Amino acid sequence: MTAVIRSVTNASPVNQAISVQGLHKFYGSFEVLKGINFDAAEGEVISILGASGSGKSTFLRCLNLLEMPSAGHLRIFGEQVNLKPGEVNLRIGDRKQIDRLRTQVAMVFQNFCLWSHMTILQNLIEAPVHVQRRNKAEVREEAEAMLERVGLQDRANYYPAQLSGGQQQRAAIARALVMKPRVLLFDEPTSALDPELVGEVLKVMRDLAAEGRTMLIVTHEMAFARDVSSRILFLEKGQVGAEGSPSELFGGGVSERFDQFVSRFNEG
Amino acid sequence: MTMGITELLGFGPQGWGMPLLSAAGITLVAATGGFLVGSLLGLCGAALKLSRTPALRWIGNFYTTFFRGIPEILIVYLFYFGGSVVLTKIMNLGGLPGFFSLPALLIGVLAIGVVSGAYQTEAYRTAFMRLDRGQLEAGSACGMSRFLLLRRIIAPQTLRFALPALGNIWQSVLKETALLSVIGLTELLRQAGTAAGSTREPLLFYGVAAVMFLVIGRITGFFIARTEKHLAKAWSR
Amino acid sequence: MIDWSFLIEVLQKLLAGLPLTLQLTGFSLLIGFILAVIVAAAAASRIRVFRWVANCHVELFRGTPLLVQIFLIYYGLGQIPELRQSFLWPFLREPYWCAVLALALNTSAYTAEIIRGAVQAVPAGEIEAARACGMSGFLLRRRIIWPIALRQGLPVYGSEIILMIKGTSLASIITLNEVTGIAYKLISSTYRIFEVFIVTGALYLLVTALTGLAISLIERRLNVHHAYRRT
Repeated sequence: MTAVIRSVTNASPVNQAISVQGLHKFYGSFEVLKGINFDAAEGEVISILGASGSGKSTFLRCLNLLEMPSAGHLRIFGEQVNLKPGEVNLRIGDRKQIDRLRTQVAMVFQNFCLWSHMTILQNLIEAPVHVQRRNKAEVREEAEAMLERVGLQDRANYYPAQLSGGQQQRAAIARALVMKPRVLLFDEPTSALDPELVGEVLKVMRDLAAEGRTMLIVTHEMAFARDVSSRILFLEKGQVGAEGSPSELFGGGVSERFDQFVSRFNEG
Repeated sequence: MTMGITELLGFGPQGWGMPLLSAAGITLVAATGGFLVGSLLGLCGAALKLSRTPALRWIGNFYTTFFRGIPEILIVYLFYFGGSVVLTKIMNLGGLPGFFSLPALLIGVLAIGVVSGAYQTEAYRTAFMRLDRGQLEAGSACGMSRFLLLRRIIAPQTLRFALPALGNIWQSVLKETALLSVIGLTELLRQAGTAAGSTREPLLFYGVAAVMFLVIGRITGFFIARTEKHLAKAWSR
Repeated sequence: MIDWSFLIEVLQKLLAGLPLTLQLTGFSLLIGFILAVIVAAAAASRIRVFRWVANCHVELFRGTPLLVQIFLIYYGLGQIPELRQSFLWPFLREPYWCAVLALALNTSAYTAEIIRGAVQAVPAGEIEAARACGMSGFLLRRRIIWPIALRQGLPVYGSEIILMIKGTSLASIITLNEVTGIAYKLISSTYRIFEVFIVTGALYLLVTALTGLAISLIERRLNVHHAYRRT
C-alpha cells in the first residue's frame, strides 16, 4: 500500500476505487485542472493538499461529477463512467449510472449542506429511503446508531439551524455513512469551523480511517493529513505536484515545491 | 371592416392616432403629477414613521396601512365624489348655488398621489435606515450643520438606496392612471374605449392601449435603470 | 353625531357583496397559480420558444394595467367570431368569468416570477448535497427543492394574495356586484361619500388583515426549524 511511484499506480484495476486519466477542467478560458492522472485503491486514506487555487476542490468534485470535467476518463469501482462530449464540458451520458454510483461515493461538504427543512434524523434517512429504497424502519435504526457513533444521539430531532458547526458537520458525516458508501469524499470538512470545533470532527474522521474506510480528503490540516493518511497527493496549479506516503513527503527532499508549501503553511 | 387598421390608427381625419397619442400624454401628466405628490407625502410619511414621538409614528403607520390596504379605485371615488361634495358646500356657502366638481385630472393626481405616497413612505423609510451612521458622525465631527448634513449626505444617499423601489412605484403609478378613465379623464384607456365603441373594434384599440402602456413603461424604465446604474457606479466603493 | 345606524346599514349591504369578492379572489388565485407553475416551468425550459412565450406572458401581464386586461377580455374577446361560436362562449360573455380570467392571467404573471425567485433562493449547497446522494429529477424537486422554495416564496405570495383581493374591486367596473360595486352604488345614490368610504375601507382592511394573519400562521408552522434558539 506504500506506493512511491509518481503517477501510474501498480494497484490492479480490481481493487481500484476511483481512477482518473487525463482530467482537464476549464472555467471559461482558465484551465483549472491541466491533465491529472490518479488512482485511489480501496482502503486508502488519501489527503489532497495544495495552495488555494491549486484546483484540489475542483478535482474532488469532478470525481462525483458535481463539477463536469472538460476532458478525461473516470472509472469508479472499475466501471467506466459514461461521459459524452458537450458544448464546453463533458456531459452526463447515463443519468441512472451517475445516481447509482453517487450512492456509493458519499461526500461531506465544507458548509455541511444539511437540508434545513428536515431534522437531523430525517436528514440521515432521506437518501437511503428515497434513493436506495431501503426499508424505512431498518434505516431509522441504523441512523440512530450512526448518530450515537458521532456523539449526536440527543440531537436526532433537532434542526440543523439549532446545532453548532461542529455538530452539523458530524451530522453530515453520519448522513454520508448511513448510505453505506464504499468511498468517502471530504471537501475541506473543517475549513468552515471555528478552531475549537475542528477537533471533534477530526476525531470522527480518524476513527473512520482506522476502520479501513476508503477516504479522499481535501484539507488544510497538515498534522491530521500527516498522521492519518496512507498517501498524500499534492496539487500545484492544476497538476500533480507530488505524490507519496506522508513520511516521504513530509520528511522533505522529495519535492521542492511541497517543502515550500509546508514551510509557508507552518509560518502562518 | 370598412376601414383598414392603418387608417383607423393613422393621423388622417378618421384616424385615431392623434387622439390616442394625446391621451397618452394625459396619462403621462397624470402619472408624473401623482408621483410627485406621492413623493411629497412619502417624505412626510417617512419622517413621521421615523419620528421619536409615538403619536407621530402612529399617524404614519395608519397612513401606510390604510392607503396600501384599500383598493385604489375606492380612493379615486373618494376624491371624485368627496371632492365635489366639499367643493359644492364651499361654493354654496360662498353664495354660488349649484353643483361643483373638481377637474378630473386634479382628482386623479391627488388620488394617485395619496396612494403612491403610502408606498413611497416605505421606500424612503427603509432607504434611510440603510444609511451608514458612521458617515453621518464623520460629517458632524467636521462641524457640518444639520441642514448641510441633510442636503449633502443624507438626501443623496437615501435617494440612491430608494431608487429601485421608487422605480417599481413609478411603474405602478403609470398603470394606476388607467383607473382614472372611470371618472371621465381622457387618458389612454378611456380614449381607447371611446375609439373602440365608435368603431366597434375593441380588440384593436384596447390592444393598442396595452401596447402603448408597455412601451411607455419600457422607455421610462430604461431611463430609471440607467440612473440606477450611474448612481451605483459613481458612489459605490 | 356619528350616524351609527347608517354605518351599520352600509356594512350590511357591503357584506352581501363579500362572498362574491372572496369567490373571485379564490378562483383567480387557484387558476392563476396553476398557470403560474406552467409559465415558470416554461421560463426555465431548455426550449427557446417556451422561454420566449413565458417571458412575453410575464411582460404583458405585469406591464399593462389590470383594467386594460379586464376590458380586453370582456369587450375584446366577444369580437372574435370563432370564440363566439365555441363552447367557451357561455362563459366568456359573462362578466364573472371574464373577471376571473383576467385576474387569473394577471396573477399568473406575478406568481410565476415569485416561483422563479423562490426556486433560485434555495441554497445551492443543499441541492448539491442531494445530488451527491444520488437524487435527481422529480425526486430531487419533490423532496428538496420545492419544500424549501415554498418556505422562501410564501411571504411574497402572501402579498400577492392581498393584491388580488384589492384587484377584485375592478370587477365592479364590468357590472359585478362585489363589495366595491355595492359601495359605488351606495355612494352615488346617497352621496354620503365619507361614511361609505370609511366602512368599505374598514371592511377591506379587515379582510386583508385576517388574510395576513393566516399567512403568518402558515409561515410559522412551516418555519418551525428556524423558531428555536441555538443550543
